[in-house]
Amino acid sequence: MTVQELLNTFHAAASDPAGQFHKYLDAGEKVVLTAPVYTPEEIIHAMGLVPFGAWGGDLALNKSKEYFPAFICAIMQSILELGIAGAYAGASAIVIPSLCDSLKCLGQNWKYAVKDIPFIPMTYPQNRANTVGKAFAKAGYERVITDLEKAAGAVFSEDALARSIAVYNAHNAAMRKADAAIAAHPEITASQRSDVFKSAWFMKKEEHTALVNALLEALEKTDGDAGRGTLPVMTSGILCDSPSLLQIFDELGLRIVADDVAAESRQYRTDAPEAGFAPLDALAEKFSRMDNCSVLYDVDKKRADLIAETAKARGAKGVVLVLTKFCDPEEFDYPIIKKSCAAAGVPLTLIEADRQMVNYEQARTLLEAFRDVL
Amino acid sequence: MAEEKKKPRTPPDPNSAKYKLNQIAQKAYTDVQEAKARGEKVGWISSNFPVEIPETLGLYVCYPENQAAGIAARGGGVRMCEAAESEGYSNDICAYARVSLAYARLGSAPEQDMPLPDYVLCCNNICNCMIKWYENLAKELNIPMIMIDIPFNPDDEVSDAELAYVKGQFLAAIEQLEEITGRKWTEERFREVMANSCRTSRAWLEATAMARYTPSPFNGFDLLNHMAVMVTARGKPEAADAMETLLKEYQANHEKGESTFRAEEKYRIMFEGIACWPWLRVTSTGMKSRGINMVTTIYADAFGFIYDDFDGMIRAYCKVPNAINLEVARDKRIKLCKDNSVEGLLVHVNRSCKLWSGFMSEMSRQIGRECDIPVVSFDGDQADARNFSEAQYDTRVQGLTEIMEARKEAAV
Ligand code: SF4
Ligand code: SF4
Repeated sequence: MTVQELLNTFHAAASDPAGQFHKYLDAGEKVVLTAPVYTPEEIIHAMGLVPFGAWGGDLALNKSKEYFPAFICAIMQSILELGIAGAYAGASAIVIPSLCDSLKCLGQNWKYAVKDIPFIPMTYPQNRANTVGKAFAKAGYERVITDLEKAAGAVFSEDALARSIAVYNAHNAAMRKADAAIAAHPEITASQRSDVFKSAWFMKKEEHTALVNALLEALEKTDGDAGRGTLPVMTSGILCDSPSLLQIFDELGLRIVADDVAAESRQYRTDAPEAGFAPLDALAEKFSRMDNCSVLYDVDKKRADLIAETAKARGAKGVVLVLTKFCDPEEFDYPIIKKSCAAAGVPLTLIEADRQMVNYEQARTLLEAFRDVL
Repeated sequence: MAEEKKKPRTPPDPNSAKYKLNQIAQKAYTDVQEAKARGEKVGWISSNFPVEIPETLGLYVCYPENQAAGIAARGGGVRMCEAAESEGYSNDICAYARVSLAYARLGSAPEQDMPLPDYVLCCNNICNCMIKWYENLAKELNIPMIMIDIPFNPDDEVSDAELAYVKGQFLAAIEQLEEITGRKWTEERFREVMANSCRTSRAWLEATAMARYTPSPFNGFDLLNHMAVMVTARGKPEAADAMETLLKEYQANHEKGESTFRAEEKYRIMFEGIACWPWLRVTSTGMKSRGINMVTTIYADAFGFIYDDFDGMIRAYCKVPNAINLEVARDKRIKLCKDNSVEGLLVHVNRSCKLWSGFMSEMSRQIGRECDIPVVSFDGDQADARNFSEAQYDTRVQGLTEIMEARKEAAV
C-alpha cells in the first residue's frame, strides 16, 4: 500500500470506532472496553478478548448529567453518555482504573447507569517503584483476571500473557518509530498523525502494528517534503484528537513533531521486560517503571522537564498544551510546565478543549497568535 | 438576629467544651509556630494522613485544609484563589488547594497564618487531588514529600493485598520521617497515642450520636466547627478530654431538654458535603429560620478512628469516607439518617470536590429511596465564595422545607 492508502486506512478506523467495534463483535469476538488512562491491555489480549479504547466522544451530554455534575471532564461524561445510550452494547465488560478522582466516580456511576456491561476496577499503586507497590499492582491484575473470567468466560494463562506482552512491546516499538518518522515527514498533517495514534485504540494491536510497520516502510521510500512551510510544534495533554482542532493546526501550518499526550505517546514509552520476570510480574514491573504523566505520582515533576527537553530535541518551536476542561491532574501540572518551558526557552501556549466544543474560534485565535510569535 | 447582637458577651467558661475545643484548635497553630521559631523542622499534613505517625514521633505539623477553611470563613478565600489563578492555576481546581498554593508563595495571610513547612505529609485516601497539590508544594518549596497512597477501594472490605501495601508505606514513611527530623518511633509512645485517639474518637462518636434524641441536644453546625480538633488533635489527651466534655454537655442538654440549636426544631435533616465556609452564616440562617436542624453529617462517622493495633489503624485509614465505594458510603449515610430520624437530605454539590460530588447524584437518590426522604441539592463551594448563589440556596432549602411540611401534614 502507498503512504496515502495506509493513511486512509488509519483514518477509516480512527473516525469510525462504532464500525470497528461491531466488526469485531460480528466476527464473534468478545470485546472489553478500556477506559483512560492505563489499563492492563496485555491481560485482556492474553485471555483472547479484544481490548477496545473508550475515551468518550464528541457528542451532546444528556443522560450523563443525571450522574455527573457539570464540572467533571467531558471524557468521563461522554463515556457514560455512550454507555447509557447503548453505543457499547455487546461489550463483555469495561475496565476502569482509578488514577484520578473523576475516574473513581465513573466506575461507581457505571454500575448503576450501564447495568448490562460489568464494571471491572483496576486499582494501581501510586507508590509504585518498590516491593509493596509492585505486589499491589500484581494483586490488582489478578483481580482483573478473575473478573474477566466471570464476565467473559475467558481463560488466563501465563504463557499466553508472555506472548501478549511481546505483541504489545512490538506495538510500542512501532509507535515510537512512527512518532519519530512522522516528525521527519512534514507532508503528514496533524490530522493524519492523529489518525495513526487514535486508530490504535480501536484495532487489535497485531493488526495495528502491521499497518504501522507498513507505513514506516512506505515512508522510508519517500523523501520528507521539507519544502512545505510548516512550523514544528509539540503537543501535550490528555487527549488531542478533535478533528476540528486538528484542522486548525493544519490550516495554520502547525505540524506536530512530538507529543506528550496521554492517549498518544505516553502509552508507548514503557515496555514490560520480556526476560527475568514471570509474565504477571513483568507487567507489574512495567507499571512501576512508568512515569512522566499527570496521573502518576511524581514528586520531582519530571514530566515538566521532559516536555521542554523533548520539544528541543525534536526541533519543536513551541509547545501547545491542550487542556481537557475540568481535568485537575493536568491543571495542577500546568504552572510547573510553564516554568520549566520558560526556563528552557521553549514557548508554550494553553488551549482549553472540551469534547462538546462546537466553536473552535477561540482556539484558532490563540493558535494563530502563537504561530505568529514563533 | 438584631436582638442577638445586643446581648452582652458573657466571658467563655474555661471548663466548657467550646472553650477547650477552641483552645486546642488555636494551639495547633501556635505550637507549630513556636517549634519553627526554636529551629525545629515542621510539616504540613493532609487531613486524613495517619496523625498517629507525627504524633508518635513528636512532630509539629499543621493542616492546610483547616487553614484554608479558616481563611475562607474569614473572607479571604477569593483573594487567595485569585492569587493562585494569577500563577496559572485553573479556577476549576479545589479551592483549598488554590488557597494553600497561594499561601505557600505569599507566606502570610491576615486571616490565618501558619509557618511554611520543611516537609509535607500527603495521604490521598480522601482524593487524588491531594497528590497533585502536595507534589506542587514540595516542588515549589523544594522540600521532601512523604506520600502514603491509600487507593479508592472499589470493594466492600479492605483486602489483605491493600493492607500489605499500605502497611509497607506506613513503615517507609516512619523511616523517612525519622531521617528528616531525627526523631525516633517507639512502641510505647505509639500505644499512648493510639489510646488517646481511640478515646477521642469514642467520645466524638457518642456525642454525635446524641442527635438520635428529638429534639437533638445540639445544632449540627457544631460538628463542622469541632471537626477541626478531630482532624488535628485526636491523638492528644486534651482532645479526648474536650470531646468527653462535649459528650457530657450534650447529655446534660438532653436531660434538661435543651439544645445548642437555638430555635424550635421543626425538621431534622442530614447535610451532605463540606460546609460553604464563606457563606456559613447564610447557610446556617437559611436552615435555622425555617426550624431546620441538620442533625447529622458524614463527619459524625468520618473521624471515629477506633482500632486495637497497628494493622487495625491501617484498616481504619483505608475506610475514610472518600476512599470507599458507593454502596459502603451509601449504607453509612442510610444508617445515620435512620438512627437520627432524619426527614430530608440537603446535598451540597461542592464545586471544589470532584470525588465527593462525582457520584453523589446516584448515591443520594438511593439514600432518598431507602430512607423515604426528600433529597434536594444546591451548588456551592467550600472556599471560593464565587461559586455559591444565595438565591438558589434559599429556593432549594425552601423547596425542601415545603416537601417535609407536606409530608408531616399528610402523616397527621
Ligand atoms: S481527562 Fe483528566 S480528569 Fe478526566 S479522566 Fe482523564 S485524567 Fe481524569
Ligand atoms: S475538598 Fe475534595 S478535592 Fe479538595 S482536598 Fe478535600 S477531598 Fe480533596
